[in-house]
Amino acid sequence: MRARIILRIASRFALVLLLVTFSITALARLLPGDPVATLFPFATDEQRAVYRADLGLDVNIFRYYLEWLLKFLRGDFGSYYASTGDGVGVPVRDMLGVALPRTLLLMTYTMALSLLLSIPLGLYMAYRAESRIDRLISNVLFGLASLPNFAIGLGLAFLIGVKLNWLPVIGYVPIAEGLGGHVKSMIMPTLSLSLGLIATFSRLLRVDTIATLKEDFVTMASSKGLSNTWILWRHVFRPSSSTLLTSAALNMAGLIGGAVIIETVFALNGFGMLLTVSLATRQYLAIQSLVALVAIAYMFFNLVVDLLYAVVDPRVASHRGA
Amino acid sequence: MARKRIPLGLMLSSTWIGACLISALFGNFFPLPKWDDYDYEASGVPIFSRGHLLGTDFDGSDILSGIVHGARTSLGIAVSAVLIGSIVGGFLGIVAAYRRGWVDAVVTMYFNVALSIPTLVLTLVMVALFSSPNLDDPNAGIPREFVIIISLTLVIIPIIGRIARSSALTWTGRDFVLVAESIGMKRRSILWTHIVPNVLPSMMSVAFLAAGVVIVVEGGLAILGAGTNPGASWGSMLAKNRQDLAILPSTTIIPVLAIALTVMALNYFGDYVRLRIDDRESRI
Repeated sequence: MRARIILRIASRFALVLLLVTFSITALARLLPGDPVATLFPFATDEQRAVYRADLGLDVNIFRYYLEWLLKFLRGDFGSYYASTGDGVGVPVRDMLGVALPRTLLLMTYTMALSLLLSIPLGLYMAYRAESRIDRLISNVLFGLASLPNFAIGLGLAFLIGVKLNWLPVIGYVPIAEGLGGHVKSMIMPTLSLSLGLIATFSRLLRVDTIATLKEDFVTMASSKGLSNTWILWRHVFRPSSSTLLTSAALNMAGLIGGAVIIETVFALNGFGMLLTVSLATRQYLAIQSLVALVAIAYMFFNLVVDLLYAVVDPRVASHRGA
Repeated sequence: MARKRIPLGLMLSSTWIGACLISALFGNFFPLPKWDDYDYEASGVPIFSRGHLLGTDFDGSDILSGIVHGARTSLGIAVSAVLIGSIVGGFLGIVAAYRRGWVDAVVTMYFNVALSIPTLVLTLVMVALFSSPNLDDPNAGIPREFVIIISLTLVIIPIIGRIARSSALTWTGRDFVLVAESIGMKRRSILWTHIVPNVLPSMMSVAFLAAGVVIVVEGGLAILGAGTNPGASWGSMLAKNRQDLAILPSTTIIPVLAIALTVMALNYFGDYVRLRIDDRESRI
């Protein structure tokens, strides 16, 4: 039974990946215009022949796709060509080595901050459910949850960066160049992505916690004279956290798109920058590999959600008697 | 019965969306300078300037007029994508739920595959590859607005479709459908008279949220340089002017506010419709 579920999920994973990567290949191939002419406007005829072979334009699309896929699976993501250069491309893998950590750090900070703030907030709101403070926070959170992250980002850049001049508006500082500078350069990007997530997470946790608080074991615990804080953290939080967990995994996938935009707003030169520049300059090989990587990451987090549901759901069902 | 008070949020949301719709439809008749008439005498003036209520950007383009014109582009994109997406997605979802069997399997498979592709990547790749494939001539190829609408429609179809399917599934099992079948009503008329009217409200609730998503994605695309022509929509207004945030913040903040208010209003509508449905279902 379990093996069948895993097999089904895995085959869906593989199928979607093949479909996505092949459609990108087909799209890039079927477009009018010669990519070699676009990439290397000043190349001689002999050079063009070399590039054509390099880009796989001299073989049919299926063979080209297969060759690309085999290379991709081995970790060879193709080359990024400079249009004026001598045609020796920079390996996309090397460019990823610089860009990807920035995006991954941004996503990690965002998720950590969001969970760190939303868990106490959600528990507190459930504990004070329907009080004036709960309504006030709920309304503020509803507003925050519906704001686009780039709106929050640009708003923060204006208030904190320009008006108050507390933090740099653009640019990335690696950890190696000083932790203080690194933190300063990441605060606003992280906040832009976090505020919406904090709103989503704490609202979800609030609803589930209110349901858990009505359970008998909570009444039991409080009649034993345990403190409210202890009950909330030790007895109530765990059974209330399953929706929060799945939502966190789901939002990790959604965060990829958000991170791409926010790092463009704050000029962090991460993965998003690499993708947009590749698209703008028609780096077919780079585009294919980058999009495939995004699709894999996206599907991976969706996979985690599916597995979480499979693991968590039966327990929740029997627990709630639903 | 006492008259029900209209919630404040609903009033504010309706007012804002109403104003946007009026701007989108009748913006041409407003006594404003045209958004693409560049007033070089008054370029980069702040808000509340003579002749330019919300100021201009550094090209001398009137911001208020840009917002009014942007309402037409942004809402136009949102309404077209959501409308086409709802019709196609709703059709697929309802038919899948009613026919079951292989039709359902194929449609569900398509929804799952389509939902596995990140929205931003799908739209970004489609816009970048389809519109202006020739770098020397950015106007060649399919018009950008059109590609944006199509790619966003592709995003909306599985979202609405899945909701329509699951909602239709809960209705196809109801007694009144069985009764209609047993008295020999045609399948098509059962669909139209019994299933579709009941599925529409839940589709509508999601459609409002989806319209919000479309406006946000359009803004994101603009920031990534794959939006509509510079200044033509709210998203591309802020994308065009955001470098001037430190010198002339109004040119960025005003379109950001327009997007934020619209998305908040649409989310509020979606929530409101959903609550009304829950209310109705609980009374049945």
